[in-house]
Amino acid sequence: MTRGVMAVFAAPDRLQQAASAARDAGFRQLEVFSPFEMPEPEADGSRTDFIGWWTALGGGLGAAVAYGVEWFSAAYAYPFNSGARPLNSWPVFLFAPFEVGVLVAAIFGLVAFLRAAGLPRLHHPAFEIAAMARASQDRFLLVVARPRSSARRAALDEALSGALEIVEVEL
Amino acid sequence: MSPTFTVTRGPRRGAPLDRRRALKLLAAGAATALASCGPPREAIVPYARVGDGEDLAPGAIRRYATTLTLAGYGRGVVGRVVDGRPIKLEGNPAHPASLGGSDVFSEAAILDLYDPWRAKAAAGPTGVAAWLDFAEALTARLAGHAADRGAGLRLLTGRVTGPTQLRLIKAIQARFPAMVWARYEPLHDDAERQGTRLAYGRPLTPRPRFAEADVILCLGADPLGPGPDQVAWARAVMARRRGGAAMSRLYVAEPGLSLTGAAADHRLPAGPLVMQALGLEVARRLGAPAQPGETTPRALAFAEAVAADLVAHKGRAVVLAGAGQPAQMHALAAWINQTVAAPVDVIDAIDPNPDDHAESLARLTRDLQAGAVTSLVVLDANPVHDAPEGDAIAAAIGRLPFSADLGLYKDETAAACRWGAPLSHPLEGWSDAVGPDGTPSLAQPLIRPLYDSRTAEQALALMAGEPDAAARDLVRATWRPGAAGDFEAEWRQALIAGVLRRGGPAPTAPPAARWVEPTPITRSPLILALSPHPSLWDGRYAANAWLQECPDPLTKEVWGQSLRLSPSDARTLGLGHGDRARLGFGSRTIEANVRVTPDQALGVASLPLGGGRARAGPIGSGLGGNPARLRGPGLAWSLEGLHIERLGAGRDGLATQADHRLDGDTGELLPTMSLAALAAGARPGADRPPPSLLTTPPRGEHAWAMVIDAAACIGCNACVVACQAENNVPVVGPDEIAVGRDMHWLRVDRYDPGPDDDPNAGFLPVPCMQCEQAPCEPVCPVEASVHDSEGLNDQVYNRCVGTRFCQANCPYKVRRFNFRDYTAGAPWRDLDVTALKAQRNPEVSVRGRGVMEKCTYCVQRISAARAESARDGRPIADGAVKTACQTACPSEAISFGDLEDDASRVAGLRRDPRHYVLLNELGTRPRTTYLARVRNPNPALRKPA
Amino acid sequence: MSARRWTTARAPGLSALDGRIVRPVLGRPTRGWWLAVAGSGALTLVMLAGIAWTFAEGIGVWGNNTSVVWGFGIANYVWWIGIGNAGTLISSMLLLTRQRWRASINRFAESMTLFAAAIAGVFPIIHMGRPMFWYWLAPYPNTMSLWPQWRSPLVWDFWAILSYILFSLIFWYVGLLPDLAVLRDRARGLRIRQVYGALALGWLGSARQWRLHGKLHRTLAMLAVPLVCSVHSIVGLDFAASLMPGWAETIFPPYFVVGAMFSGFCVVIVLAAVIRRALGLQSVITDAHFDVMARIVLAAALIMGAAYASEWFAAWYGGDPAEARFLRFIFLGPYQPLYVAMLALNVGLPQLLWLPRVRRDVGAVVLIALLVNVGMWLERILIILETLSHDYLPSSWRLFRPTLTDGAILVGSLGLFALLFLILSRVAPLVSIHETGELVVTEAAA
Repeated sequence: MTRGVMAVFAAPDRLQQAASAARDAGFRQLEVFSPFEMPEPEADGSRTDFIGWWTALGGGLGAAVAYGVEWFSAAYAYPFNSGARPLNSWPVFLFAPFEVGVLVAAIFGLVAFLRAAGLPRLHHPAFEIAAMARASQDRFLLVVARPRSSARRAALDEALSGALEIVEVEL
Repeated sequence: MSPTFTVTRGPRRGAPLDRRRALKLLAAGAATALASCGPPREAIVPYARVGDGEDLAPGAIRRYATTLTLAGYGRGVVGRVVDGRPIKLEGNPAHPASLGGSDVFSEAAILDLYDPWRAKAAAGPTGVAAWLDFAEALTARLAGHAADRGAGLRLLTGRVTGPTQLRLIKAIQARFPAMVWARYEPLHDDAERQGTRLAYGRPLTPRPRFAEADVILCLGADPLGPGPDQVAWARAVMARRRGGAAMSRLYVAEPGLSLTGAAADHRLPAGPLVMQALGLEVARRLGAPAQPGETTPRALAFAEAVAADLVAHKGRAVVLAGAGQPAQMHALAAWINQTVAAPVDVIDAIDPNPDDHAESLARLTRDLQAGAVTSLVVLDANPVHDAPEGDAIAAAIGRLPFSADLGLYKDETAAACRWGAPLSHPLEGWSDAVGPDGTPSLAQPLIRPLYDSRTAEQALALMAGEPDAAARDLVRATWRPGAAGDFEAEWRQALIAGVLRRGGPAPTAPPAARWVEPTPITRSPLILALSPHPSLWDGRYAANAWLQECPDPLTKEVWGQSLRLSPSDARTLGLGHGDRARLGFGSRTIEANVRVTPDQALGVASLPLGGGRARAGPIGSGLGGNPARLRGPGLAWSLEGLHIERLGAGRDGLATQADHRLDGDTGELLPTMSLAALAAGARPGADRPPPSLLTTPPRGEHAWAMVIDAAACIGCNACVVACQAENNVPVVGPDEIAVGRDMHWLRVDRYDPGPDDDPNAGFLPVPCMQCEQAPCEPVCPVEASVHDSEGLNDQVYNRCVGTRFCQANCPYKVRRFNFRDYTAGAPWRDLDVTALKAQRNPEVSVRGRGVMEKCTYCVQRISAARAESARDGRPIADGAVKTACQTACPSEAISFGDLEDDASRVAGLRRDPRHYVLLNELGTRPRTTYLARVRNPNPALRKPA
Repeated sequence: MSARRWTTARAPGLSALDGRIVRPVLGRPTRGWWLAVAGSGALTLVMLAGIAWTFAEGIGVWGNNTSVVWGFGIANYVWWIGIGNAGTLISSMLLLTRQRWRASINRFAESMTLFAAAIAGVFPIIHMGRPMFWYWLAPYPNTMSLWPQWRSPLVWDFWAILSYILFSLIFWYVGLLPDLAVLRDRARGLRIRQVYGALALGWLGSARQWRLHGKLHRTLAMLAVPLVCSVHSIVGLDFAASLMPGWAETIFPPYFVVGAMFSGFCVVIVLAAVIRRALGLQSVITDAHFDVMARIVLAAALIMGAAYASEWFAAWYGGDPAEARFLRFIFLGPYQPLYVAMLALNVGLPQLLWLPRVRRDVGAVVLIALLVNVGMWLERILIILETLSHDYLPSSWRLFRPTLTDGAILVGSLGLFALLFLILSRVAPLVSIHETGELVVTEAAA
């Protein structure tokens, strides 16, 4: 539960300016809420490529299991002559594993995303804030940890001068 | 004997039929259907003696020899019986008219036994009745005829050869001296009777010995076509048509293509004019005092070559005249045969009735119309349908105070008569018959009568005054007198073997055949040539669904027949293929579809009899017009002055095959080699499989394979119906055929490798190829189509989900899909088809809706043989497994066996120079392969067939 | 092309734009909507009746026969799966190639994929002789200890369709997630808010979530492209893996993929036209969109033409008599009129799109798109009929005549497709809110 100052902007560029101003003023803890993806205020470069790795892992696993089932059923559990084809007809046994692999990969990717994004979380204190309701539509919100001293607070207000409104929030 | 007697059971005469009795009788009819399923009460004797024990086990198949008739002639069959139910009929190897082979008629007879439409009870003026009510009425009526000594009494039958029936008819004639016994067959041999009368002075029957014939000339004759002799003659003729030095040469001149014509080396489409000219020309060159008639150059060249060949093969050449040819042609044939010392036995007619068929029928018709008849008994004949004046006869019968029809069905004639009484099916009763060559044989029942019926013998005995005679006693009474030594032993032996060892009429030394100068024919207007129906005969089998759906060997038409015309005639008449037309003579007309075929003789339209049944149950009724109505008095085979009028573009006749050519490459499907080329080492085409990446899996204990000799196949369809009977293959009915669906596991394709004007039609039986690299198997998603260790391409019906990918990917299209619930018997409409179930082979599962099915090489027979060999601890001998189609084939064109056994017949045939593989280039490696057709053309004739 | 603007100057502000997009979802249904539902619902009933009749009577009520064992069932399947392929393909390929104009069409393109693929999935099942056992194609332990026969293209199909539908669902949902948050925030009633709230999984739109979301979306897109290609390649293999003349063509897989994109893009064009009118989105689904899609259709048409030509060439140059006969049959046989019509609609007609005038005329483009889909259906049915009616043995040559039931199920499936879209339009935005929003804002800024 951090106490913060939320500035509401009408356009992304306004928010960008305010964010960089705030950063120049030495404010580090910034959080942005926007209706669509925006370049992050600070390039802290929190990593996202693990999603790719999880996906690859899922794909590999899915395909391997699928081929395993094929081999087990066709070459081991119930082998029989089908048009004189080899029991382990690997070339045609590649189709199903590929399809299954892609599906499992997607599922792994989705799960990885949800966990990293902290979803699903059906209730969040942010929902208490009236302004949040428009963050999904046409408002661009910048939240900064509320400074202790009044001097810092003034600097902050200076940085956020372009905002439509500024509200105190608890996140 | 006393002219009257008292009935032991049954209600009082003329007692009104109250509800209780009606229901009782109906129940008697219906309920007995399957309840009475079981072995007959009297002792019957299995065909092959087997040790006691295992064969008595329930479900075990026992085999009994008995006799069926076609047009009155006996043909030996062996019935396979399971738990008291006959389920399949096969030829009796011991019987000279069968030799183990069979034809569509004897294969399909089993279905008649269980036919839902069979007459189940007698029907009298007051409605449903018991047989005894009928017996009582008949007896009383006959008693009345004591006064006029039977002058007003008529007995009408078809051809009768059974010694017992003949004996009883004599007894009847003795009882009623003035009675007239009328006898006729719609497909009669009057021309032969008259022809031999002309040539020899008395009616005789020439019996060619084909085994000795190097050259055969058929003048409108169709020895390979449907008929009592088909099986034996096909065996004899085709045995010498498979290449090799002994190969015979077959010349055929005929109006419309026949099975014999399809097998000929040289075929001449010939109407009466050309036919007579040909006959005369040949005779003239053989020294007959005949004037050269004017004819076409082609016919002249033909005659020249034939005559030369006949002379060159003196003593080994035969000439046959067809039943449809005029008497003089038969006389001419007799003269030629005598001149060339042909291998022909001449015997006295098997049918002792002295009258000609047409004359006999005409006389009956006259008497009926003149009112000279007061009582008529029709025994297993159907004049109302197949007599030219059927309608008049029906009307006349309606005016009779007493008339009775005894038969298997309530047919047209039964409907016209006051009384209809059910006869037992031949498989239900004791009887006897004589084969076309004179061999007598016994018929023993394989099952208790399903309904309240009697045998023809019992009916005749009733008329002769022996009401309660048992059929068996009647037959035994016939044979006991002539017994040489122990009768019981002979009787038993006869039942086991199926034939009696008492020789028929020995070949008579006929008087010298006189030369009869034929009355010259003038150029005639369009001629209608009638022929036997390849599967309905004269129409008597129209109620048999298997036969209705059995494709015409040549046109592949089912459920009806078209009129065949030559292209030029069609053009002059303004008719096109598939047109609907009205044809006839004056007021006698019928409607039919027109089929334009190049192999038809100019000026002759061909149409088979047998269509147009008015009362043949849900299966046979109302299919086309009745050609018999066009015949006019005299039961003519061919009539002049046919007029055809186009009614408009009709639907093309229902057929299972429409295309007979593969533009240019037909010869690759049905290779035809000349004897010379074969001798020179020619090959029909590659039979080595193309290279493949796949390694064929190791073979199991056996490697089943089939080789079909296209040179021996006459296209008769016996195999098709045999397969249907053996494997519970349902009929689909005309509606399904119309949308291109059919169920036959084995089909006989017709291909025309020849030029347009001389198609040189040939046949290719196509069962499942049982490919070693089967295209159908890898595409099945659920492992329903799998390959077993012995090379069979199995279809697991329970596993099939019906994606039909297997059939889509089958280059031979031999799989069949249950688009609907075909086993429900829709073609029988609302009839209760329960009885049909009794025919089904318990060894073969019945397929449900939505599954794919196919030929299995009769796997049930293979496993039976495997079980036997395991029991006896010896390997399965070559020939121990015979598929149904193989057994049926009259010309032994189908061979089946084990490729693992290098000495087996199939292994040998696969090394034959004529061996080829259908669609070999696809690399499917079929286990079913073929031997190419061979022709032995006469070098003297420019255009070899 | 990236220099192009994909929104018009009259584009509304974010809020107004969102309003337009969500109106059909949160607002009251219009009378037109009800009429459309009634119409498409009726057609859907026709389809259901046809299927019920088929189940009751068996495949016998279709036109299929002993030789032509496949018919409308398979043709409809291939046609629908083809349409179904386009949506995800378009959306993902345009995403990977950073085509900004995809923003306004990807959502309903993806929805189209879902519905078309789902409808396609119905046909292989109802075309079976014993549909109740369709699950035998799946591997599961059973007392018969039997398994699917993995060599069968139908089993490949089974997996292809299954994973494709589920994958498309995931891809669609991921794209939809932020928009569900919008609905959550704009919805009035508590219930609706709760429902959308749950579906939005508590999406906040924080920078972090956006980055992860973008990453996942691009990753899925990268998976989607090969998946889509494989799916229709496998459909092509249903035929190519056989040995029948006219089917055993190595070109089938790629040619089926292009065909799929072809028909799919045409359906997208039609949907785009309908939706932009219904939602009044002329400002974000601009004529330029139609122009560029028309260009793609034209390109696809050319490739299709090349594919047909290569078939003819192979048949002629290969010298296989069976193939040569097949070629003669398709050009001179009884199906000739259909084949000619197919060529005209798939290859001839789209050539009009060379003309800028036509490309800019939305009506014309839509008409062409519709006719191309007729042509594509003809292609599907002819692939089946030509080969099965005229294969190796003349004795089994038979023609195909469709029945009323065949037609009912085909026409009905169109109704079902429309009905599903109408229902979706009341449940989720047919156009991506956050992506169009981004587009509008960035282009307004530019």
